[in-house]
Amino acid sequence: MAQGRVRNTSSLSRTALPLIDIQHVSYSYPLPAHHPHDVAIAPALQDISFSIEQGEYVALLGHNGSGKSTLARLCNALLLPDQGAVRVQGMDTRDQVKQRQIRECVGIIFQNPDNQLIATLVEDDVAWSLTLAGYAAPTIRARVDQALAAVGIEQLRYLAPHNLSGGQRQRVAIAGLLALRPACIIADESTSMLDPLSRQEMVSILTQLHHDQQLSILHVTHLLEEVLHAQRVVVMEQGRIVQSATPEVVFADLERLRELRLVIPEPLALAERLRLAGWSVARSALTLSEIASEIQGAVHARRTW
Amino acid sequence: MQDVHGSGGEAHSVQDAIIKVEHLSHRYDTGIQPQWTLRDINLTIERGRCCALIGFNGSGKSTLIQHFNGLLRPTEGRVVVDGIDVGRRGTDLRALRQRVGLLFQFPEAQLFESTVFADVAFGPRRMHLGRHEVRTRVQTALDLVGLPHGEYGWRAPFTLSGGQRRRVALAGILAMSPSVLILDEPSVGLDAEGRAEFYMYLRRVQREQHVTIILVSHDMTEVAMLAEWLFVLHHGQLVLQGSPRTVFAQTEELRSWHLAVPPLHELLHTLRQQGVAIPSDILTLDETFAFLIGGVCI
Repeated sequence: MAQGRVRNTSSLSRTALPLIDIQHVSYSYPLPAHHPHDVAIAPALQDISFSIEQGEYVALLGHNGSGKSTLARLCNALLLPDQGAVRVQGMDTRDQVKQRQIRECVGIIFQNPDNQLIATLVEDDVAWSLTLAGYAAPTIRARVDQALAAVGIEQLRYLAPHNLSGGQRQRVAIAGLLALRPACIIADESTSMLDPLSRQEMVSILTQLHHDQQLSILHVTHLLEEVLHAQRVVVMEQGRIVQSATPEVVFADLERLRELRLVIPEPLALAERLRLAGWSVARSALTLSEIASEIQGAVHARRTW
Repeated sequence: MQDVHGSGGEAHSVQDAIIKVEHLSHRYDTGIQPQWTLRDINLTIERGRCCALIGFNGSGKSTLIQHFNGLLRPTEGRVVVDGIDVGRRGTDLRALRQRVGLLFQFPEAQLFESTVFADVAFGPRRMHLGRHEVRTRVQTALDLVGLPHGEYGWRAPFTLSGGQRRRVALAGILAMSPSVLILDEPSVGLDAEGRAEFYMYLRRVQREQHVTIILVSHDMTEVAMLAEWLFVLHHGQLVLQGSPRTVFAQTEELRSWHLAVPPLHELLHTLRQQGVAIPSDILTLDETFAFLIGGVCI
């Protein structure tokens, strides 16, 4: 569906190529061997075209099974498209020679950090992929120090990952990616196993990395409150992209988001109901403090009136 | 949907206590130095109610619930569950565990049989019940969680969705007819739809089977929807208990215990700080809306 992209990405430092360029991609998971032939399974992705610019922060929103994780896995050659093409900095993901380079450029953090932590010490884990790539010891040391500092876990470097909390382990996973100096980080539902406060911390780390290091971020989530900081929100449903716009535009139609089986955060629902009841609460108020000051303003207006 | 919160008088008068914990302390002796994970806990849980234990990682929630079905014994103090003293030597733990069902985190990972029916029947069969009794119990349990046995009984668990598999695990416990049901982070990893369904069936179980439900969670929104009474643990101590209304009013304290208040309550807190007079007993979205529309005085 052609939805107008309101905030133009031209303000970003635009290189000739988008960082990740997906053209008319379709993908179906291979059927299990014993699957009956007469039962068709809908493809996970159908004719997706989508791109992420250098330094852009994109949120990929959709409920379970909408295809968002599949799309994320296509971005660094974990899955290869059935039709169409995925290019990362111009490199086709089907080119096996380039796959290693592509994965160094685009890193994924998954839902469960335990699936990607392997070493017995935090700093060893962060150094792991650098060691595999054959970097010299002083370089490894410098990069590990920087990566740990970037996510604020220098003090945990000599601890064992299994002794850390979920939020801390996710930070170790991010540091492991940062050590490779990627251009893009994909967070695939990486907050869904965390408690609410660690979740907020995780979002602010991503925002900060985007801001300080000009990293591209693709944040895959089903939680509306996590997409507020994105420059662009891409909404998926049944393997298709149904909307691509700024958070303000996406949040303007809450009814539609409900239809897409997403949970509306209560403060937003309250603002919507007050607006329908005739209160002047601006649609652009999305964060908690914005909504609070809008409601406060409306209350004051009513009193003087 | 009934209002589960009822009249939340803070004087916690318990008529019929199903769980009684007196001066419970627990120490893990593993590791270099022994660690106290629970210190002098006193609480009572009323029969047929739904209550919640909340606390940050490492606050002692899991240690506490493991006392309720005898996986751990108290180092000091006493735990009495449905008349059974958990700490006493010679206690029939088997009988205790049939009465107290414990649903771990990600219970769907524990499904192992080739059909849904066989998986749910595993517990009742171990109880040496007759064939007909097993069949009736399995069918009732599956119907109760919204997976009619005729349609789902013969399917393999891996053909179901995540939310459905979790309900199969719940049915496996219900088939043992427990009087207490403990759920450890029951909604983690489920999407909005799976979550809403799971809650709906959980409420039904509470209403129809009069099972006492104990939720362990750090998701306050979930707790606000389901529980009538909250216990807040911090560093192994019971720091606060009360109805959701009174507990959520303590925004600052909850933050200091690393707990996040539900977003709506945070909004109300901000509004109060900005001088909008919102009474402290407002809890739900409907109440907030009605109050604001009904006229606010500052």
